[in-house]
Amino acid sequence: MRRLGLALGVALAGCGSSTGNALVSFRATAGAAPEVGAVTGQPLRFTSARGFDVTLTTARVFVGALYLSTVEPTTASGALEAPCVSPGITTGEVRGGLEVDALDPTPQPFPAEGLGSDLPTRSASLWLTNGDVNAPDERTVVLRVEGTASRGADVYPFVGSVRIGSNRVTPPRNPALPSSNPICEQRIVTPIAFDATLSPGATVQLFVDPRAYFASVDFATLEPVSQAPATYRFRDETASAAQADTALFNALRANQGPYRLELTP
Amino acid sequence: MRSLPLPLVVLFALLAPRARAGEVVPPEVVTRVEAVAPATAPPPSQDHVLLEFTVTVEGRAGDVVVLESAGPAWDAAAREALSRWVFKPAVHEGTIVASRTRLSFAMPAVLLARDGGQPDDADAGSAAHPPHSSEVIEDGADGAHADHAMSTVITGRLLPKSRGASDLNIEVGKLSLVPVQTAGERLKLAPGVLLTNEGGDGHPERIFMRGFDAREGQDIELSVDGVPVNDSGNLHGNGYADLNFIIPELVENLRVIEGPFDPRQGNYAVAGSAEYELGLAKKGLTVKASAGSFNAQRLVLLWSPESASSRTYGGVSLQRADGFGQNRGSQSARAAAGYEGRLSETTSFRVRAIGYTAGFRSAGVVRDDDFRAGRLGFFDTYDARQGGDATRASVSGDVHYHLGSFTAHQQAALVFRSSRVRENFTGFLSDVQLPRQSPHGQRGDLIDRDSEAVTVSARGYGKLRKRLFEQSQELELGYFARYDVVQGQQQRLLGGDSNTPYAKDYDLSSRLSDVGLYADANLNFTSWLSLRGGVRADLLTYLVNNACAVNDVRRPSPSNAPGDASCLSQRDFGQYREPTERVSAFGTAVMPRVSLLVGPFKGVTVTGSFGDGVRSIDPQFVSENKETPFAAIRAWEGGVVFADKLFDERLDFSARGVVFGTRVDKDLVFSEQEGRNVIGGSTSRLGGLLQARARSSLFDVQAHATFVRSQFDDTGLLVPYVPDLVVRFDGAVFHDLPWKLLGAPVKASAGVGVTYVGRRALPFGQRSDVIFVTDANAELAWRWVTVGLSATNLFDNRYRLSEFNFASDFQTTPPFPTLVPVRHFTAGAPRALMLTLAFNVGGAS
Repeated sequence: MRRLGLALGVALAGCGSSTGNALVSFRATAGAAPEVGAVTGQPLRFTSARGFDVTLTTARVFVGALYLSTVEPTTASGALEAPCVSPGITTGEVRGGLEVDALDPTPQPFPAEGLGSDLPTRSASLWLTNGDVNAPDERTVVLRVEGTASRGADVYPFVGSVRIGSNRVTPPRNPALPSSNPICEQRIVTPIAFDATLSPGATVQLFVDPRAYFASVDFATLEPVSQAPATYRFRDETASAAQADTALFNALRANQGPYRLELTP
Repeated sequence: MRSLPLPLVVLFALLAPRARAGEVVPPEVVTRVEAVAPATAPPPSQDHVLLEFTVTVEGRAGDVVVLESAGPAWDAAAREALSRWVFKPAVHEGTIVASRTRLSFAMPAVLLARDGGQPDDADAGSAAHPPHSSEVIEDGADGAHADHAMSTVITGRLLPKSRGASDLNIEVGKLSLVPVQTAGERLKLAPGVLLTNEGGDGHPERIFMRGFDAREGQDIELSVDGVPVNDSGNLHGNGYADLNFIIPELVENLRVIEGPFDPRQGNYAVAGSAEYELGLAKKGLTVKASAGSFNAQRLVLLWSPESASSRTYGGVSLQRADGFGQNRGSQSARAAAGYEGRLSETTSFRVRAIGYTAGFRSAGVVRDDDFRAGRLGFFDTYDARQGGDATRASVSGDVHYHLGSFTAHQQAALVFRSSRVRENFTGFLSDVQLPRQSPHGQRGDLIDRDSEAVTVSARGYGKLRKRLFEQSQELELGYFARYDVVQGQQQRLLGGDSNTPYAKDYDLSSRLSDVGLYADANLNFTSWLSLRGGVRADLLTYLVNNACAVNDVRRPSPSNAPGDASCLSQRDFGQYREPTERVSAFGTAVMPRVSLLVGPFKGVTVTGSFGDGVRSIDPQFVSENKETPFAAIRAWEGGVVFADKLFDERLDFSARGVVFGTRVDKDLVFSEQEGRNVIGGSTSRLGGLLQARARSSLFDVQAHATFVRSQFDDTGLLVPYVPDLVVRFDGAVFHDLPWKLLGAPVKASAGVGVTYVGRRALPFGQRSDVIFVTDANAELAWRWVTVGLSATNLFDNRYRLSEFNFASDFQTTPPFPTLVPVRHFTAGAPRALMLTLAFNVGGAS
């Protein structure tokens, strides 16, 4: 009888007494990627893929929120009609805006604590907005850049600020699909590959490589705004036909290149 | 030699065959009291009064009916005397049971002497029996007294034979003193049952039974006097069961079988089954008026005629309350009536009618982070549109034939019911933007679910008894059939104060049928060894017309844009199609069930049971011409039951211990986005329970504890939300106070119910808080008036009735949605007091 009781007790206790997984809280920081070689308080100099020598004095990107997901990045990217927000697959979130100084390698903490679970994370999304992701208009500047680019004798002092509001509305590709190009798609950078499992007290680090913003930019197509001193600017609207404007906006929203995430236990 | 554990020592010490299994030992008279001559009555019209009554398990006469009258005053004298008789109750298979009995109450000679055609003067009879006095005689002590010929006749319906230790025939009895809000709460008298309610008063309770999350009854076959309660085809969940239509005072008996061990159990008997039997033992007209906390008011009228059994009754209740927090008001009305009569000496019948309507508001869930941050109060709500309403009307009748060794029974019922439930578990999270739709943000997750159904059901059986091998053997063949016509819609409403639907999830018209046949044998090999069981087969058919069969189109035509409509009439490239689609499906399940009973030996019976059961799936999940899948369960259990009268038969004691295991191939798992349970993977349970009940002339107490481990078969992880430890105590004490008021005794009674639920497993490895709640009630009764005060959650513990971990976004911290799982809860009710004043006219005081 005692053995029976013991066996029953062992069976009832089982090998695990949990429903599996756990809820976790974590920290999140952002800053310039180490490989950029940025030094706090100093301009960043680099040569772009198009052969421009760039001296970057300002590069600040506003990240409204960071979401982590179980969705494989390849799957997500292939889902043409995937909604901006899919419930039930989020493994982590940091909800609180941070304007990241992409020229400062010092970890800059997000103002909000991250919450999530230890389900396997496979991808991440950056929300480049400070309001409702579906709002028709939004005035927050999500990217602010300033610097000088030169190629040979041509010098292009430039400034740029990017908003993603009504200036970035893209018409639907099919009248029968009026929401086929929702504004939220413009504001969310996804999927960024991020293979990690959150644990309590861990830190999610967002590394920004500001060089990637300018990799494809042809500064020669920038719009001059003054002659003396010579200043060029990135036009902040989708309607712009200038290659530089389109290249910067596309780079800002590229899921590969400017952004990388790492988990520090 | 190592010593045996104490329980085994007790068990073996008691081993000695005592009574034949399967037989009824009729009640015996212990104490009898002669009638007192009515002082001013006309002569008796005959020399006896023939009474029919129930000998209760307490050994008292109840439900007294005068079959042959000697005149009203003489009948009353006989009834008065009988009310003081004490019996040794009938015993059925070692279990004390109530039994229906007839008694030819002969007038004592001194009374008959007055029957000379001349009424006596006031003091004529006082020489032998002074008025208002009685003579108490121990049975057999004085053979000179008048003869009271007694015979036990079967006028009621014999309960099916016990299927083992988890077959609980619960006579509510004095435990009705324990306060309950609903009839569903009486299920707590069964071990391992926990009731929670996310939807507020009026919403069906969520039932957990022995390791199962049966939601609103989907995994428990529920019936009231044989009429099915589970709603087949209800969009809230196939088998959704709302017990709120029952007037709690009318619950006379409850049979709970935890597990599918009886061939009579049909669809939905996965965790088990529960059958309510309604009746009213209290004779006369009873009026109860209650008022209490949170502006709760309740008015109840109950009536059962003196000359009828408890199965002839009528009852109406009206109640309303503001509720204990935001958006928790409710109103309801219930009516029930039953009549039991005889067609002949061998045939009786019962007819019943029930009506119910209710409207209620619901607070829903609260996010723990919002509560802790002060953004929402503990008893507050996010969405004041939550709530619902329900209506039910039913008529049923049965005919019962019993002659010699053959019994036949036939019942038919017609049920109409409708329900509407509005719930919002996730706030603004589930509204996915489809490319074909106009641009929109989250419009709100308030689910508005409506169901309307008509059910025709019938059941019956024939039972044959034969004596073979010197033992009584039984064979029963029976059937069950139901046909349901169900309309169901589910919509989602725009957020805010709107009542505007923006999407339709379902629009189904279903015709469902279930025909079950069973054979059940009760084979007694010796006086102490019985094998009971048989096989049941059910055929279920579905004819589902989906009026919203097309919800999206992958390649819409620019010239024929589908727009925002939920139910489309086109295929790719705008080609037309009807928005409807019909699906027919069928399935058959064969379920063996068997129980082995050894005993009783000195009141101890050892049992073992095995059985298969099924739950049909929701109509929206069936596919054309495919075998309808069932959720199938296989269950086993072993147990020991002890039942006997102790301490010179002053204490009626029963106890049981059970070890059980179950496996379900498609369990139900709660989905917050659906607001209901959805089909999940296979799960298994292993557990044990202990239960004991003791009754005397002074008290009635019961306690039970159940521990169960429920886990998924593939991962070994715990099934969330299911309580692994449930402990319950119900107790009542009752006695006359030592003094009288105006010559009449004052009866005092009190009841207390205590629930303890251990920390339940929640998703993501978390555990809920403990639930520990005490309810109490005290009453004083004098003559025809009763005053009572009840308190639910007596110690005003702030507790969380339900807890969940899932993602929701109620937009309390804009602008970014919160998408990760967090803790949610529904608030348990704080302390509530209720004062009740009851009057009874025409019944025994």
